Amino acid sequence: MPGASLSRWSLSYFAAAVVFLLAGQVLMVFGFGYPAAALRAPDTLLVVHCVTIGWLSLLMCGALFQFVPVLVVRPIYSNTLPLPALLLILAGLAALLASFLQLGGHLPVIPHCFAAASVLLGSGFGIVLWTLGRTLSAARPLNLPARFVAIGLCSVAATVTLGILFTLAFGGYTRAPFALELLGRGMPLHVIAGLGGWLTFTAIGVSHRLLSMFMLSPELDGASTQWTFRLGTLALAIVIIAGTVAVIARAGLNAVLVTAGLAGAGTLALYARDVVQLYRKRVRRVIELNSRMAGIALGHLAAAAVLTFACAVSGGFGQYGGALIFLVSFGWLSGLGLAKLYKVVAFITWLECYGPVLGKTPTPRVQDLVVEPRARTWFWLYFAAVDVGTVCLLARAPLVFRAAAAGMLLASAGIALELIRTRRLANVSPALRLPQGTRLPRLLFTFVAN
Amino acid sequence: MTDFVELDVRPVLRAGGEPFGQIMETVQGLAPGQGLRLFAPFKPTPLLQVLGSRGFAHEVTKLGESDWQVDFTPSASTGARTGADAPADLPRDGVWPAPVREMDNRNLDPPEPMVRILAATETMKKGEVLAALLCREPVFLFPELAKRGHGWRGAMESDGRTYRVLIRIGAGQDASK
Repeated sequence: MPGASLSRWSLSYFAAAVVFLLAGQVLMVFGFGYPAAALRAPDTLLVVHCVTIGWLSLLMCGALFQFVPVLVVRPIYSNTLPLPALLLILAGLAALLASFLQLGGHLPVIPHCFAAASVLLGSGFGIVLWTLGRTLSAARPLNLPARFVAIGLCSVAATVTLGILFTLAFGGYTRAPFALELLGRGMPLHVIAGLGGWLTFTAIGVSHRLLSMFMLSPELDGASTQWTFRLGTLALAIVIIAGTVAVIARAGLNAVLVTAGLAGAGTLALYARDVVQLYRKRVRRVIELNSRMAGIALGHLAAAAVLTFACAVSGGFGQYGGALIFLVSFGWLSGLGLAKLYKVVAFITWLECYGPVLGKTPTPRVQDLVVEPRARTWFWLYFAAVDVGTVCLLARAPLVFRAAAAGMLLASAGIALELIRTRRLANVSPALRLPQGTRLPRLLFTFVAN
Repeated sequence: MTDFVELDVRPVLRAGGEPFGQIMETVQGLAPGQGLRLFAPFKPTPLLQVLGSRGFAHEVTKLGESDWQVDFTPSASTGARTGADAPADLPRDGVWPAPVREMDNRNLDPPEPMVRILAATETMKKGEVLAALLCREPVFLFPELAKRGHGWRGAMESDGRTYRVLIRIGAGQDASK
């Protein structure tokens, strides 16, 4: 059947993701990991992976299972495989977090925990890549947003592969010189491939289409946007391919990172131009909360670019790298993720519940499923707390940072409650809530008839 | 050498009209062996399918930015079904009547276009056709149309910004390839 159906398991990914977001923030409130511990300390790595795999990657996977079919106007390759993938990733993440707890001395030693994490995470992400890759390959030639996603998927493959090599080398499973070199010096490649390639580049591609859809702006696929894609792909190829070769060959990484950084800066400048066009040329003058908050998140991406530039010029990556990763993860990626989640959950719920009876009986609008003024307060609190947190990390004020993390936790919990209310149709007036022929959607998965 | 009857639907379309009925009337009036040379402001993808199912081969030529020429030639092997040679009792599933309702949903927030289209289909009779303009392919609408037993044909117009969909009530999946 042409067209796209609802993704059965995306809501399960979103729910698991939000749990890990809250868990990561709880750890920060209690002063676990950076800045109390060093940036590469096991406790910090635990918090980082809780946020990047547990929250951001699960969120992105869930979003792509729903959104890739929309991008390419074809059904997903499988609406079933995402469930085993989710279970494998959750098991692998649990093993990885347990491994970091052992390293930090919080847990007694459990043999082969790192190896188990590698196998489980590798297979989980492997199934994700297979499902999305088959969906994309059936839709070739790909349109521009789908090509961004394809490069994002290559980047997650690289990130996971590097991560697996780190754990194998670290756990003593391999003594191969290239793996030891990568473990020693390859960390920046893992971080850039993950945060820059997988999460940011995919988000850039998806945001082109989502912003244009929800603000009624013209689609951008002109020469400028083509160059955003080419330059970004080049930057990622330089970091991942040339960077890996340089590390294995024991050559310096600086030239690689500077070249990739210049290409990356060009990509972001072109993307900024695209975004300004999307907002300016929109037909819809009054935009919804999700588009306004996406704008704030985009502002944080710009701030992160400026901070990266400042660190590159002053050689301050060692000192301010933690603040930079925090700003990218929470100001940009999580901010955009929460903003779009707020819309997507409402849309999926509306379509699942009311799609079958549209036109046959009065139904609520998508916007009747949400109460924007209430959610707006949580979003503003969230971004304010992120900004205070970033400043605290830059200024080395760990106690105030924990207070900021508490603000983020409170705001995220508030947004999570709004998502649950949306899913349970709690904001819809009782008279319209469940007309004949409809049923209340389940909280954790989508009922798909096919 | 095929003898072509020429039909230029560019003025009708530019005036906001719907030339489908006129095209089908012209096809009905073709003599055996005669072809149709159509001039349109975009590549008329749905029509290629419609006339293809009636045994016409087509050759599309882009004359300019919004000028297309399509030569429909009756295929010798199948024998195209024009008005002159088609038996009266032949099924006419490939031919859709002119739309009884037109909608311009291009400036509506998603999912309002889908809501309006489904609401309209509930008020129409079996066999009637609804035409709608949208600003992108309505991916979530198609499964819902299929569930309700309606057929559809759609294509992006040459400006790359308008998706035109024709929906035939109760026509099932026969034409929605």
